[in-house]
Amino acid sequence: MNRSNTFTFQNKPDQLYQLGITEPSPCTLACPAGVNVKSYVSLISSGRFQEALNVVRERNPLPGICGRICSHPCEATCSRNEIDSPVAISWLKRFVADYELNHPGTKPKKIKQTRKENIAIIGSGPAGLTAANDLIRLGYGVTIFEALQKPGGMLITGIPSFRLPRDIVKVEIDAIKALGVKIKTNNKIKGKDAIKKLMSDGFDTVFLAVGAHKGKKLRIPGEDTSRGIINCVDFSNQVHLGTAPNLGKKVIVIGGGNVAIDTARTALRVGAQEVQLYCLESRKEMPAFEHEIEQAEKEGVVVNPSWGPKQILSRNGSVTGVEFRNCISVFDSEGRFNPAYSEETKCVNTEMVISAIGQDLDLDFLGKDHKLKITKRNTFEVDKDTLSTSMNGVFAGGDAVLGASTVIDAIAQGHIAARSIHRYLNHKPLQQDKRTGSPQEWEFKVEPTLHEKSKRATMPMMDIPGRKNNFTEVESGFDEATAIAEASRCLRCGPCSECFICMPECGKEVALISGPNGQEASVFRIPPLYKTLDPAHSPWDGSLVTGKNIVPVRLNALIPFVNETLCRGCGDCVDVCDYDAVKLIPKTDEISIAKINDDICRACGTCVAVCSPSAIIPRYFNQVWLDQKFNAMDPNKKNVVVFTCQWNGSHIEGAAFPDFQSKNTNILFVHFMCSGRLESSFIFRALNKGADGVLVTSCSAGECHYDFGVSQAQKTVKTTRQLIHLLGLDSKRFAYSQILGADPEAFIQAVNEFIKALPSKDQPESVSKINEP
Amino acid sequence: MSSTLTESIKKTNAYACLECGKCTSVCPVALFRYNGSVGTRFSPRMMLTKAVRRNYDDLFHDYDLWSCLTCRKCDLYCPSNIHYIDLIQFLRSSATDSGIDCGKCSHSGALQALSRIMTAKDLKPNRLDWVTEDLEISTDGDTLYFVGCAPYFDAFFTDLDLSVLDAARSSIAILNKLGISPVLLADERCCGHDLFWNGDVETFKRLAEYNVSAIKNAGIKTILFSCAECLNAFKKLYPENGFAIKAELKHMSQFLAEKISAGELELASSDKELTYHDPCRLGRHLGIYDEPRQVLSSNNDSHFYEMKQSGKRSLCCGVSAWMNCDITAKAIQIERLNQAKETGAEVLAVACPKCQIHLICTLKNVPSNKNYDIEIRDISSITLERME
Repeated sequence: MNRSNTFTFQNKPDQLYQLGITEPSPCTLACPAGVNVKSYVSLISSGRFQEALNVVRERNPLPGICGRICSHPCEATCSRNEIDSPVAISWLKRFVADYELNHPGTKPKKIKQTRKENIAIIGSGPAGLTAANDLIRLGYGVTIFEALQKPGGMLITGIPSFRLPRDIVKVEIDAIKALGVKIKTNNKIKGKDAIKKLMSDGFDTVFLAVGAHKGKKLRIPGEDTSRGIINCVDFSNQVHLGTAPNLGKKVIVIGGGNVAIDTARTALRVGAQEVQLYCLESRKEMPAFEHEIEQAEKEGVVVNPSWGPKQILSRNGSVTGVEFRNCISVFDSEGRFNPAYSEETKCVNTEMVISAIGQDLDLDFLGKDHKLKITKRNTFEVDKDTLSTSMNGVFAGGDAVLGASTVIDAIAQGHIAARSIHRYLNHKPLQQDKRTGSPQEWEFKVEPTLHEKSKRATMPMMDIPGRKNNFTEVESGFDEATAIAEASRCLRCGPCSECFICMPECGKEVALISGPNGQEASVFRIPPLYKTLDPAHSPWDGSLVTGKNIVPVRLNALIPFVNETLCRGCGDCVDVCDYDAVKLIPKTDEISIAKINDDICRACGTCVAVCSPSAIIPRYFNQVWLDQKFNAMDPNKKNVVVFTCQWNGSHIEGAAFPDFQSKNTNILFVHFMCSGRLESSFIFRALNKGADGVLVTSCSAGECHYDFGVSQAQKTVKTTRQLIHLLGLDSKRFAYSQILGADPEAFIQAVNEFIKALPSKDQPESVSKINEP
Repeated sequence: MSSTLTESIKKTNAYACLECGKCTSVCPVALFRYNGSVGTRFSPRMMLTKAVRRNYDDLFHDYDLWSCLTCRKCDLYCPSNIHYIDLIQFLRSSATDSGIDCGKCSHSGALQALSRIMTAKDLKPNRLDWVTEDLEISTDGDTLYFVGCAPYFDAFFTDLDLSVLDAARSSIAILNKLGISPVLLADERCCGHDLFWNGDVETFKRLAEYNVSAIKNAGIKTILFSCAECLNAFKKLYPENGFAIKAELKHMSQFLAEKISAGELELASSDKELTYHDPCRLGRHLGIYDEPRQVLSSNNDSHFYEMKQSGKRSLCCGVSAWMNCDITAKAIQIERLNQAKETGAEVLAVACPKCQIHLICTLKNVPSNKNYDIEIRDISSITLERME
């Protein structure tokens, strides 16, 4: 279901229906793509794997890919860090993606193009794919141009398949293609007029997501030696295409990041006997993931930290070795990259060097005279909030803007680009209002002592000898039991686990409304009446998402308040409220008065009904409102008042009663929040105002939304019956009927039977002859 | 409207006000008004001043206009002989006539609604179900016992666990013992007293008309009441509004006192200590102070005690006409229970079902540090026990 936020409120919303408030968890705030981590982890813990995957897909179209190789900043902020170790969020995501592969459900269907505009995306990496996925869903025509034979960008050229199997990449890209995105491979866009040409070819906007595919230079003497030195991007491409060079016995990999580790592990798999990795950083400072370094070491990679290359040694155009110098610090006191070295040097013999110190944007494709502004860091210059370039209608994102970065950052950029393109094509200002800005600080604090320690699940892996000389995936993923156990470690930071399974499954119209900051939201139950409520009485309006539809809704403040002059502090309200929403507080030495806690009160109105001095005053279902309802009595017709409960589902009116909504009968429906609100005065007032009969319907006691409302209603009904008898009114003028919420037919029947049984208007005891003064 | 109102105000002698403030000084609402909740002190004198200055609109919307208990204490102490509560009533009925309904009806106005329904012409009330077989009543005779709304109260106030009808049962039992089989009207209607003081004179008159014509038809010589307000309505409000009744009208306590004086009724001394709460309608409105005391203390002097405020100075039960029952009312009621307790009495005798209901209601919700341990019973119920 769609859970996007379409309703905001300026003030605190009507809390009556509020079931819970959501707050983003640290993991959700940490996710650059805005994936609701807490939600899907929560769903996994309850075995709802497909629903979990759907939550991931709302913000991340590449769950199987990210589940394997994401840098998972979510785990770094996980509150479990303060207790033991973070929830294995990324691997849980992989689990649900794998689950779908093994339990295929409905396949994605092609989305009909509803917009005339077409969008060209250059590059089929994660940024381009994400933007394409978002835009196709908005109804645009989307075409991706890919220079290489296969789509995926860095996902296939940069990441070795033993970490990210190619069939996983293919499945997820195919799913995006199935929506109608066209991917034109072997289609390199080039030349200074390339963008202009796309625009004239029928594309309204262009998104440059070309990635950073040029290996950074070491910039040391001997680097240009003709044989025996290669950069990681070229190496990876060659491996991918099956044209990897013969690496010889010993390979030196230079670099300390994930790409360097991948390169070293790949080198081992394509025949290197010995792989020595050298990096500037100390072992602890290495930017590569710790578990990846460990695996590399287990596989045989020797890591040599704190060494920077000084020069490449060569003879006759062939590399013979590398001279390293000892690096004592990588960053200066101000945190800038500014390595300092000691005098110590060492020479290492090798015939093959692979440099893996980062990648740059390759701008050659645009020729020399392109009009796009470029930063000092050799990336496209963009507005960081909108990703618009210096050229109107052209956007850029991903590594081409960030420099070599992570998949999840690229996905985040894809979302931003899609949003900007959508706004651009709708002639809206690209800059959005503040609430969609950067996530807020997380204020939730875990109390470590409150939680038991639990061991983080380990990832099952192929044994070391098995990995030799092949690219089979090393990690094999969780089984169901492990996934559920691991997801259960989640502390569910915040008030609601945000799984929202309550929403589609609840027959009572549950809706989610976002808060003004766009971060927190409230879960509401919307009683049926509120779709069509009289606008004159409603301070709130807007639209919200319920089930599949967006409906206009007007909410009312229904929480009653205590008139502090009238309240006598008898405490009947306290006794009746099972929510403990009412408390007595001292007012004078001898008298207390009731105080309603707005945050707890659910506005059933039962306390209002039991309040003897009528000191608890509801803001909506009050006497004035009721009297206005009764004013619709028609002296020329038989008037019937039908009281119902909002939650009962028996909000059927008008057309359901063709026999009576006719010339001779006038049915007035009065819907309360709960039949607990019923007071005997309502019946007598209705009779005073000219009603010929009053029917009260409620849920059965076991079905009462508030649990205690119906039993209160039953008491009131008993009293009313006695009084009706005493007055000498025909007992058929007042009836009470319990109706199951799921049985609207029973409601219609009850109303019909009641009306049929009513004494005629001419009966001597008819009170409709009374005129109120 | 305003000219007739001005005329009515003149009749109440309001222009003679000396602004001495005695009315405020004796007013229980002024004394017990919790200042913090309303913001102003309750001042009968200021209300009168507003009325004299014809500041009606302001007055009609003033919570205080509807807070007056009409207990008539101010009337009795006023040196200028101003009919203060008549003024209040005029103002309320004028407000009601102009569609302003600012009195805060307790129980969401259920009791007023019941009274209004009783104006339906051909109702055939089932209001005598409570008359058990041991009680002897007749449809024909010269003594009528006017039951009042007791059957409705018992049905309505189930949570208070009280029996207002106990007074009616006891009264009939006493009458039977004295050889009288009273007439009970099967289609008796509400006397309309409360609606009158709410300001709804129109409905009051209709109810009065029903009751008076029903009684006229029955050929009744004496009407007995357990309810001080019913008696007050019949004796005072009905004739004043053109519905005079020729029959002799007596409160049960008056009837009992007469029988004791005549030697026809002898009472055993009470086994419990007694005190008596004067209903405003019986005491200050009708001047009936002595007869209830005569009944309670007959052969019982050593077991009967007066409260600190009694007789003319008696403190009201806190609520009138089912309206503005509030924190001030509760403060008054707690004070009244304190006064009763201070006498050492075990039973607080009442002569009006409203006083009984209001005081029992408070007794159910007293401050946690209080333990009153006192019964609140109708004077007839107590008397019947002393006859046995």
